[in-house]
Amino acid sequence: MDLGNVAIQLLSGMTVAGYLFMVSAGMTLVFGAMRVINIAHGSFYMYAAFIVAAIVGKGTGASGMFWVALLVAPLIVAAMGTATEVTIMRRIYTKEHLTQLLATFALFYIFADVALQIWGGAFRSVQAAPVLTGQVNVLGRSFPKYNFFVMGVAVVVGVAMWLLLQRTKLGWRIRAAVEDPELLAATGTNVRLLFTTVFTIGALLAGVAGAVVAPLVSVAPGLDAGILVEAFIVAVIGGLGSIAGAAIGAIILGLFQAIGILWVPTWASAFTYIAMILVLAVRPWGLLGTPER
Amino acid sequence: MRLPRKYQGGKAVRNTRFRWLALTLAVGLALAAMSCKGSSKSTATPQATGTQPAAATGTQPAAFTGTVKVGISTTLSGAIAQLGKNGLQGVTLAVDDLNAKGGLLGKKIEVVSADDQAKPDVGSTNVRNMILNDKVVAVFGPVSSAVAAAEEGIAAQNKIPIFFHTSNDTVLMTKQFTKYGFQVVPNTTMEPRAIAAYACQQPYTKWATIGPDYSYGHDTVDTFIKDLKACKPGVEVVNAQWPKLGSSDFTPYISAIQSAKPDALFLAIYGGDLVTFSKQAAGYNLAKQMKMFGAYSISALQPLGADAPAGGVTWFRAPIYLPDGTPGVDNAKIKTFIDQYHAKFGQWPGIFSILAYSAVQTWADGVKKANSFDGDKIAAALPGVTVSTVRGDIKIRACDHQAEIPEYVGTLSDQVNSTYGFRTPTNVFIGQPDKIMLTCAESEALRGK
Repeated sequence: MDLGNVAIQLLSGMTVAGYLFMVSAGMTLVFGAMRVINIAHGSFYMYAAFIVAAIVGKGTGASGMFWVALLVAPLIVAAMGTATEVTIMRRIYTKEHLTQLLATFALFYIFADVALQIWGGAFRSVQAAPVLTGQVNVLGRSFPKYNFFVMGVAVVVGVAMWLLLQRTKLGWRIRAAVEDPELLAATGTNVRLLFTTVFTIGALLAGVAGAVVAPLVSVAPGLDAGILVEAFIVAVIGGLGSIAGAAIGAIILGLFQAIGILWVPTWASAFTYIAMILVLAVRPWGLLGTPER
Repeated sequence: MRLPRKYQGGKAVRNTRFRWLALTLAVGLALAAMSCKGSSKSTATPQATGTQPAAATGTQPAAFTGTVKVGISTTLSGAIAQLGKNGLQGVTLAVDDLNAKGGLLGKKIEVVSADDQAKPDVGSTNVRNMILNDKVVAVFGPVSSAVAAAEEGIAAQNKIPIFFHTSNDTVLMTKQFTKYGFQVVPNTTMEPRAIAAYACQQPYTKWATIGPDYSYGHDTVDTFIKDLKACKPGVEVVNAQWPKLGSSDFTPYISAIQSAKPDALFLAIYGGDLVTFSKQAAGYNLAKQMKMFGAYSISALQPLGADAPAGGVTWFRAPIYLPDGTPGVDNAKIKTFIDQYHAKFGQWPGIFSILAYSAVQTWADGVKKANSFDGDKIAAALPGVTVSTVRGDIKIRACDHQAEIPEYVGTLSDQVNSTYGFRTPTNVFIGQPDKIMLTCAESEALRGK
């Protein structure tokens, strides 16, 4: 067993874990507070990637536009999130799960078609800033610098979320909403505004993930559906509603998959689902989730 | 302040575990449905399928004695829309060029087009409408071979010639053969044979493979490895990866392939997946460690730019962007086509653009030889003759209407072409038609003749 191979493989798995965490963190946050599974979450992710591609254009990445795009795209997507919450989402919180599912499902298709109208079906490519391209030597093997950047951003996002939830008033309110929304409302908190804020943060997280991942993928229609299944699995494994759970779920999925691909490639596609079945068989509400009230 | 109803009363939810499972299941099913849609590469919903005339071509020579219409029903929405658009633009440009030279038999040609959404039933309906309502005299085919097979039957019933310029399944000219169908693309037998013939000449024995985890991926990889082993004993597969179609992260696959240290890597992934894989592989410097064999179409080479693997092996179904001096290729003529196309559409033509262009030229030659737009007369005139196209002179084989054309295999240039902004093939190997085509006897046997 070559140590370098295993190290590179684990790092590759952690890269996957990094962006899966960012996408599923937003999804799980929204579910935690509002009990809505947002199928259109993947659309926010895809839009951020498209916006980055549009801003960076076909340039070499040397112009610094990449950094601008990295900041602007998540903000635009967050604004989209706010608009979506105010116009649609807040009308369906009181509805059955199936209605919510259908509504966000419909949003998913609408967003997909609008994206096709704006950006067309061609594959787009984004060049990262030059400082992020190239390789780093890890135990005698080369590993892409950009992948470290993805992991770094994921860690920053994770820490920021932790600080937000544990150390700020907004965070306390969000956690209170997860625990007991009735009591929260009774204390005079504007729950309606809180929900808009949470949904916006959720979209922002999807936006950060989409913007960061843009230089690693072909930016084209289908990105939205591609990410959604895995992000949902991560959120379910971790326990819907738990950010820490999403982090653990992403790491489990990323590493499980990476090791599977290295040692038993024929079965690699099944590994994701095996991980999910195992966890759900033991804890149907996920690793760090709580059974529904 | 209004709270979700669930939070208002003390209505305890019984059986939480079942509720959870039901919810998870519902979402799971929804996602599964969606990913299936994703995997058929058509995430978008239908667009207007109405027919629309091609843009009018400015000055009209006075000589026209009327108009005839030709139809193209192809995929113009969803993830493979770009391929359909390339074909449609190729047809449009060819028709404009015909009209600029006075049309055909004194008639002005008009294009009607429709979107088939990559669905056979929609494609059939489109073609039927074009023939019955628009009175088209010829049809140019779709992207998908499944749609093409459906359209071929409709065209034959109505005695209208149909020309395939993108869909290239061997079945179209064998099992599904009709005397009204013509194929101007190297078919799915010819292309793998040419690639295998090239790979056999190369020194690589340790191979890794990666293909999407469904029938196409497995078939493509298995056929390639089987052909390779037949001509080159000692070939072994040291690593075989099967990511699911539409994977957004190939990182772990790339590092696993790297660890197996193969001489060469055969990529059966295509389109957006190939772009994603190549971008991520560039981060790992994969092209420097092994020879990458992949179907790098123009639509993939363009966004990839310098991230396409330098020295990687790819294959082209038509002689476009090939180096000067490639035997049998008239680059001056092709360059004119490229520039004209770029001037008109603001983008560089894809392989399917030039194939579609040559399909119109094939039909036009047929019309001239038959001296008529009549389907039966064209179907009688074309087989066995040589037509003149932008790709060069092409013989339409009499026995199955397959064009006798080569497949081009080459390595991607070290430098990105400064005009086009992407790597182009060099050191071109030509899979000659007599080496890669089914014989007439084999073709007719498949037809059950």
